[in-house]
Amino acid sequence: MVGAAAAGETANNDAAAAALINTKCGGCHEPGPDGGLARISAVRKSPEGWNLTLRRMQQWHHVVLSDAEQAALVKHFADTQGLAPEETAPFRAVLERRPGNVEHADDPEVATYCARCHSYARVGLQRRNAAEWLKLVHTHVGQFPTLEYQASSRDREWWHIATTELPDRLGRKWPLVTASWTAWQGHASPDLAGSWRVVGHRPGKGDYNGTLVVDRTDVDRYTVHHRLVMADGSALDGDGDSIVYTGYEWRGAATLGGLPVREVFEVSADGSQLRGRWFASDAVTGGDLTAVRGGPAILAVQPPYLKTGQTARLTIVGSGLSGEVDLGPGVQVQTIEQTSAESVTVLAVAGATAATGGHDVAVGAARLAGGLVVYDKVGSVRVEPGYDVARVGDNGGPIALVPAQFEAVAYLNGPEGKQGEVRIGVLPASWSIAGYDADSKQAEDAKFGGQIDQNGLFTPGGAGPNPARGGANNAANLSVTAVVTDGAVPLQGSAHLIVTLQRWNDAPVR
Amino acid sequence: MQRIVLATVAALFATLVAGAASAKEFLLTSVKPNTLVLVDPAARRVARTYEIAGPGSVLGIAPSPDGRIAYVVTNHWNTLVGIDLDNGSEVFHADFSSGALRVRNTFGLEVSHDGREIFVLLLPTVIGPSEYHVQDPYIAVYRADAGLQAVPVRTLPVPRRTAQIMQSDDASKLYCVSWDIHAIDPQDGHELGVQKLIHWDRPGFAEPDVFGVWTQFEQSHIWINPYSAARTDADPADPASMRTGMATLDLATGAFHMIEFENTTKVIFSAVVNPARRNEAFAVYTTLSKVDLAKGELVRRVDLPHTYYTVNISGDGREVYVGGTMDDIGVYSADTLERIGEIRMPDGADQAASWVRIVQR
Repeated sequence: MVGAAAAGETANNDAAAAALINTKCGGCHEPGPDGGLARISAVRKSPEGWNLTLRRMQQWHHVVLSDAEQAALVKHFADTQGLAPEETAPFRAVLERRPGNVEHADDPEVATYCARCHSYARVGLQRRNAAEWLKLVHTHVGQFPTLEYQASSRDREWWHIATTELPDRLGRKWPLVTASWTAWQGHASPDLAGSWRVVGHRPGKGDYNGTLVVDRTDVDRYTVHHRLVMADGSALDGDGDSIVYTGYEWRGAATLGGLPVREVFEVSADGSQLRGRWFASDAVTGGDLTAVRGGPAILAVQPPYLKTGQTARLTIVGSGLSGEVDLGPGVQVQTIEQTSAESVTVLAVAGATAATGGHDVAVGAARLAGGLVVYDKVGSVRVEPGYDVARVGDNGGPIALVPAQFEAVAYLNGPEGKQGEVRIGVLPASWSIAGYDADSKQAEDAKFGGQIDQNGLFTPGGAGPNPARGGANNAANLSVTAVVTDGAVPLQGSAHLIVTLQRWNDAPVR
Repeated sequence: MQRIVLATVAALFATLVAGAASAKEFLLTSVKPNTLVLVDPAARRVARTYEIAGPGSVLGIAPSPDGRIAYVVTNHWNTLVGIDLDNGSEVFHADFSSGALRVRNTFGLEVSHDGREIFVLLLPTVIGPSEYHVQDPYIAVYRADAGLQAVPVRTLPVPRRTAQIMQSDDASKLYCVSWDIHAIDPQDGHELGVQKLIHWDRPGFAEPDVFGVWTQFEQSHIWINPYSAARTDADPADPASMRTGMATLDLATGAFHMIEFENTTKVIFSAVVNPARRNEAFAVYTTLSKVDLAKGELVRRVDLPHTYYTVNISGDGREVYVGGTMDDIGVYSADTLERIGEIRMPDGADQAASWVRIVQR
């Protein structure tokens, strides 16, 4: 998991971790024939999964761990009993706490048994053999005895199935030993020090780009200086620290524009790219991020669209940029306003005959397929995410409210008018909310549930009984509508928004 | 005590309920933190509160037949205590867990008609050094006079998923509500019969979903629980493809019925049968519904000001009490479903899903 230069430091860390495990865990978890401690050596998890396990050992079994000891153990376990990138790939959105993420379980039976209290990802981000999955079932019922009584338990011989068929099913689906993990254990954790070129998007705020300057402070540990600029020119600067687990799981804590945020990025296997999401404590306020080092490469065109017959300022963001700008057939570069190795800003016009759809963009040797979408008219508008959950909060209570951020995304009609073929991008819209159905209209959900601003940011109502609602709370079932004006024709999209109660227990993997 | 509140049944147990004729009805419920509440419904006020020692809050409540003691589950479902309603002292205490055995009550709680025994449904787990071993559930039977370090005098095996337990009026059976209703011998636990519930034989219907936490049958001696069932012979888009009904078990006669009364549109948590008009039931969650159990019809429905988990009824069948959530018990006219009163809990305390039982004192 580490390069040769770091091998000595790693050996020291491993010895310290082994001593810590022996002291903190060995009192209950006895060594097995293979030398590993019972249960502990039989599972693999994400860093968040190990964090959750250690928290539970403290809450349930009164293990005493300092923050530093907890951090050291999470690092050790994630590195030595973690997950390969292919194993986490289906579940990145949950690790990234991506709002509006709707899981699509590839095994509905497992989802029925496991994913009604927590996410499917919570299970999919673990690896165990059948015998160990069985022990987890016992833990569940021992800890949560109402489990057998819940809907989708009480309609079947839940305990019998959960202790016979289910562990085998899980052991086959997500076993302890996998080829991908075996292969990944030979992977050297890359040194990520250097300057990274960044592009990203903040829902409700717009695109940004900039630079991450990463300095290595220890094995898999970095300080990070963010120098980011929003599309409107405002700065989004700040500093932070990060740890890389399992050779690719970047977890950072930073202050961006004064806002404390966490970062969940995936490092590409060759160490040349970071991709993921950063977010504030509500997990909603935040943005996507892609970073590369080296080049030449184009990361994005901002904004990523151009309407035929119109002239617009476009910024091509990349790394090692040099040479002629090409925006595809029919799109003329009128003026180059600024050029550097990291960005090229142009005034461009799409001629009336320019082909609609994705255009490959090039600066010299650097090329981005479909980097610019040319459109003649917006075919349809979708509100994204199409389904989301906001949560009441504050109002004197201990839990902060959780907003919802929507965007109006324009799409180009495909051949024969088929909608949703090509994503144009985020457009300004006029926003409104309404009751989702007859019941929610009668209950005046739109009046009590919260308010939406003209950036698509929905702020839910306060927590607790609302005297103005006869003592009922501010839960609501809402339809969110965006109207985009493209020419003379207003186009409309909508999303479904549930306003519900506080999340009292927010686990590292939900 | 549950069954001695009706004059007809009181006659059967006349020797046990001397003085019952002059008794007055009270409600027993609870609020956080860990406080038992005795309510005088006629006066629309809290008559007395009882602080219970230890952590947690109260879930199940079962009064003794003489109305003197309330047995309540507390301490995060780990402990059964008996509270003397006259002086507030703890007269019975049983901790379910011991050593490596973690034992929790999963809802079911009943007191024998003679007041001598308490039945409590338990789910045990052995907490081993590095793993848990879930055991089979059972009913623990305690002697009511076992004092403050009570241990079970016997245990009765029950099917998994058993949630509610009720004794038949003749005390010969304990009914255990699981997927089906298993009648067992209260002495040795051997099975006396099974009344099919979710395994009903109903062509055109899928298995019904039947589950209840709140047990209240003391006024009518009829156990009642709402259910919903999908029709297999209907288009799922048809509103009639999902039906809501009521399952009833007459604890005096053993008569069992299931009848649907509406297409499923509302969630219902619990229900109670009117002792004065025994074909009439009242059901709650976000609405209060009156149901005709003979015709299978929804008679009337009103919106409630907030969610209520449980419901009970006065002995004369005129007043319906809704409770179990937030800080009030709502009083409704059984005739019109008009809200005719309410009883506020002390200091706005939350009822925390507590049961609401009737006790005669």
